[in-house]
Amino acid sequence: MVIENVLAALNELATVQTFILMVIGVAGGLIAGAIPGFTIAMAVVLTLPFTFGMPAVQGIATMVSVLVGGLSGGLMAGILTGIPGTPSSVATTFDGHPMAKQGKAGLALGIGVWSSFFGGIISAILLMTLAPQLANIGLEFQPWDYFMLVMFALTITASLAGKNLIKGLIAGVVGLLVRTVGEDEAVGMARLNFGNDALLQGFDFIAVLIGLFAFSRLLHDVRDPESARKRLSAGTGDGNISVTIEHLAAIKIIFKHWTLLIRSSLIGVFTGVLPGAGGSIANILAYDQAKKTSKTPSKFGTGTPEGIIAPESSNNAVEGGALMTLMALGIPGDVTAAVMLGALLVHDIVPSPTFITEEPVLAYSIFLSFFGATFMMLGLQSGMLRIFVLVTRVRMYMLAAIILGLCGIGVYAIHNVEFDLWTLLWFGILGVLMRQFGFPLAPMILGVVLGNIAELNLARAMAITTDLTLFVTRPWALFFLIIAIFSSAFPVYQVYRGAKKWTLFYLPVACFAVSGPLFMMGGVPRTTLAAVVVLFGAYTLWRRQQAGWVFERDEEEIEKPQITEGK
Amino acid sequence: MRRLNQDAVIAIFLLLASGILFWSTFSIRTPDYGVLTPAAWPRVIIFALALLSFLYLIQSLKKGVDENAVADREPGLKSWLVYWQNPIYCFALFLTYLLTLPVLGSLIGGVLFVFILMSILGGVSKEKIVTHAALSLATVGGMWCIFTYGLEVILPQGMIFSAF
Repeated sequence: MVIENVLAALNELATVQTFILMVIGVAGGLIAGAIPGFTIAMAVVLTLPFTFGMPAVQGIATMVSVLVGGLSGGLMAGILTGIPGTPSSVATTFDGHPMAKQGKAGLALGIGVWSSFFGGIISAILLMTLAPQLANIGLEFQPWDYFMLVMFALTITASLAGKNLIKGLIAGVVGLLVRTVGEDEAVGMARLNFGNDALLQGFDFIAVLIGLFAFSRLLHDVRDPESARKRLSAGTGDGNISVTIEHLAAIKIIFKHWTLLIRSSLIGVFTGVLPGAGGSIANILAYDQAKKTSKTPSKFGTGTPEGIIAPESSNNAVEGGALMTLMALGIPGDVTAAVMLGALLVHDIVPSPTFITEEPVLAYSIFLSFFGATFMMLGLQSGMLRIFVLVTRVRMYMLAAIILGLCGIGVYAIHNVEFDLWTLLWFGILGVLMRQFGFPLAPMILGVVLGNIAELNLARAMAITTDLTLFVTRPWALFFLIIAIFSSAFPVYQVYRGAKKWTLFYLPVACFAVSGPLFMMGGVPRTTLAAVVVLFGAYTLWRRQQAGWVFERDEEEIEKPQITEGK
Repeated sequence: MRRLNQDAVIAIFLLLASGILFWSTFSIRTPDYGVLTPAAWPRVIIFALALLSFLYLIQSLKKGVDENAVADREPGLKSWLVYWQNPIYCFALFLTYLLTLPVLGSLIGGVLFVFILMSILGGVSKEKIVTHAALSLATVGGMWCIFTYGLEVILPQGMIFSAF
């Protein structure tokens, strides 16, 4: 069955036109990723209007190619100039740039490129194997569970996206509200349109995304007239264009650290699965883990290969995880996946747990294009090195003016409706204001994307029964509610960790609470998992009781004098 | 009287907006069928927005005005306009592009928009004008050709272009 689907998808993808579009997509993504301030989500969202006229498989393959290219584009600029092209390559610069400055730029680039490649491949394998399994779990979800899953996705995004949880939640709620404008999907009644007929169709999702993300970002970047006229990476990396990537040496080093590669890739995939967390978090997490588990942690920051392998393999693995939840459950893992969801919706494809079984050719086309684009990325990165460095010398004002102009054409092209251009303008202004006042955009975008999913499932649930207790008594709904509560409390826990007594109980209580719905689900695997979670919680509690309920910080303080006394 | 900080002002604005939006939900028609009325979900969201805005207001009032905060611009309308001049140019030009779209169309309007915006943001000199003109023609013209001939999307032609 799987082989049949793979062959059918391959048949759809194996056209010269699709191949050329994928190469252009990867190259475009790599260039966009190399430009500081130009995020992957922006690159993907700007590609969307081009794909509208294409067949679904071709359009989605192009978008996936841009995504894969964008994930790797940041490393070139990061290693050569020290300025990360994207937030997901920030940690790469910690060791990549020092290594380049030591005259080993070719090796640093090689390690980066091949780590990205292996991370992408591991992620693609997991995507292909785990997404159908996750979809099987998704088939158990009823409207109450779906509604609570959306609420969980919004709360965790709000808690991870910014410093202030309330601002994040407000942004998410505003996103949900934006989606209610226009005729409601269940009965077609006009809502919140204030008598404006143009608003009856609601705000176009893509125009809102481009306005909020691309338009506002560009305006934010040109705010300072002086820096807008400067080159993006003026005066850096000039001498490194003639660098040759050392492929063989890089592969040898990566194979020597294969456990680190796999661990970091898994961190990436897991971060991607988690709604709201993306490459920007994964690369830092993987770098931190690599440092903690390294035999030579003091070498981190001075140009050690491990410091490049970890962030680069993890940030490329993220999208496999994000696409997993998107394809299996219809819930985007991050903003980039939200844009991908937009792309699928533009092509009249609605991801859900039945998506992989009902649309196997399309689903496997996504899997295969992820694979194919990863190989293309490897080849193109080696050949386009000079362009990456040159592209970082563009002046911001030129880039902003051109992209704003292209937005004006691209947004209109999606539905041939002038009102969408007004949507772009208004949401561009809103995006600038939100950035200025410290409101994160990610929860709002998730709110816009998930708004109608939440409402439809609420309507379905209420149509079945008006019993509201099902939102807290069904195992999956309760599971999502509990992790939503604990993820919302996580930022507070982080602030007070080591300072307040209650933080000692946070993890054990979370374990006990989560195990409840797992026990309720029944079956051997889930009951066993629940038992393991309870045991872990109890063990943590016991250890803390044995330690006399002291904070970790206190433990460190106690240990330090003992070492001094020993000397 | 105690001065309100920026966050408190935003929170009050959000509370007012929630009130207006909640009031407007009463004009949503309710059909005779269906359990969940069309106004129910917006009301739930607006209620959540109001609640969060109230918490945000309390949080910002507790924080108070940071007298030691270093502002990145001087107070006053003039300095505000100078501080935001580039985004204001962008918005004003995009607004002009939208208003003139029926006349200029997306090709002429788009090229002019990119050229003028580049010249305003980047400054004007002989060399720059040539670069800006070439870049705007190549990028917008290229995009227009891709959509019109490659993807067969009908973009607004405008009165001038359609006259030829």
